[in-house]
Amino acid sequence: MKRLALVACAVVLALLAGCSLFKPPQPWEKGQLARPEMTMSADPLDERFGQHIYSSKESASGGYGVGGGGCGCN
Amino acid sequence: MNRSVGRRRTPAGIRPESRLGAVVGAALSLPGVYAGPVLAAGAPEKGVIAFKYLHYQDSQPGLKRIKVDSPSLYLLAPVGPDWSIEGSAVVDTLSGATPRWQSTVSTASTMNENRRAADVKVTRYFERAAYAIGASHSSEHDYVSNAASLEGSWSSDDNNTTLNLGVGGSSDRINPVNGGQQNISNETRKTVELIVGLTQAISASDLAQVNLTYTHGDGYFSDPYKTLDFRPRQRTQGALLARWNHHFDDDRSTVRLSYRFFRDSYRINAHTVQAEWVKPVTSNFVLTPLVRFYSQSAAYFYVDSLTDAAGFPIFPDVAPGQLNSGDPRLSAFGAITLGLKAEYRITPLWTVDGKFEGYEQRSSWRVGGQGSTGLDPFRATFVQFGASRRF
Repeated sequence: MKRLALVACAVVLALLAGCSLFKPPQPWEKGQLARPEMTMSADPLDERFGQHIYSSKESASGGYGVGGGGCGCN
Repeated sequence: MNRSVGRRRTPAGIRPESRLGAVVGAALSLPGVYAGPVLAAGAPEKGVIAFKYLHYQDSQPGLKRIKVDSPSLYLLAPVGPDWSIEGSAVVDTLSGATPRWQSTVSTASTMNENRRAADVKVTRYFERAAYAIGASHSSEHDYVSNAASLEGSWSSDDNNTTLNLGVGGSSDRINPVNGGQQNISNETRKTVELIVGLTQAISASDLAQVNLTYTHGDGYFSDPYKTLDFRPRQRTQGALLARWNHHFDDDRSTVRLSYRFFRDSYRINAHTVQAEWVKPVTSNFVLTPLVRFYSQSAAYFYVDSLTDAAGFPIFPDVAPGQLNSGDPRLSAFGAITLGLKAEYRITPLWTVDGKFEGYEQRSSWRVGGQGSTGLDPFRATFVQFGASRRF
């Protein structure tokens, strides 16, 4: 888990390094963010298919949510 | 989200909800629409019902293996102004040959089985928060899983930052046919999952998210249908997922990037990188090419595939109770996926989509170290067709 913490720190540093990009939008500037493809889960069934397939063919899983349950495929 | 935004006024004195409402309305009429809010808070304004059919086929050189057909249904429905219900159901039909234990000799047997799974989630929305409770069930003839989850999300006053916390648990029961190769019955596996996530609107065109998940499982993790497969009865997994979406104003396309680092108590490290480019071709037609790269190290108890001079597998010499597995999914390898998705809006309410992905695993594609030896490349294709309707 030490390595995970290091990667977490690296991501935070990368985000901080991108501070020049950091211009949180005003309420009237959120039109683009409201586009469906800008959301994190634009197509739930597509996302579920992908996570199910990859978690049954690879060792890694997680990161997306909780409560998915298990399966005999892995 | 929209309600809270509407309480503020722009410098020009225009009520922003009318502008944003128009933009959201336009966005929702695009192909592939799901009425998800920008951030976690805010009940969906529209419902969606969607159907998808997935066809999956994998193969190794000279042998087609497992084929899966999966019709699935998804529903998201607002219930009054402050609630929503979301659910999905899927039936997987698997057929074909089970994986070869080693590359050179087929120990495959034919199989036919079904999996039925469903999940439901109810969400209550407040001005700056949302709380959800969910449940899921998955059933195969030899494996049953029940899971539940609780999630909460809280947004900042300007709605640009959302914190998400969640806890989930699952209880699985494993009953292999005739006890499998390991003569077991009524084995169990219990799992607890935790998630903490932060979603941040970086700019008017950038949305970023970082999630950390922790999973701890206790129980039976071995493959009951393999004679030699003895894994630890505990598995702890950690994943860090970072996602970044950027919208280009000039051609109205969107790039979606993600990176995930994974580590578990099997001492497997894995990295996943994915990029998608959502490119509108016309006002009704969108193409999304994607590329995904994955790499993992081997579990510390993974046993490399060895063969004798005649090409037959040499079974490892393991003592009773010694951890071991020859499952290629625990080996060191890399994988690449290339895909293309097409979405077409038939009417303002109806959208159809299709997606093709080609996937391949190779030991030599592992990054940061040697891949496992003696494994053939593994290939798979995923084809999806879907339709969705807003209401």
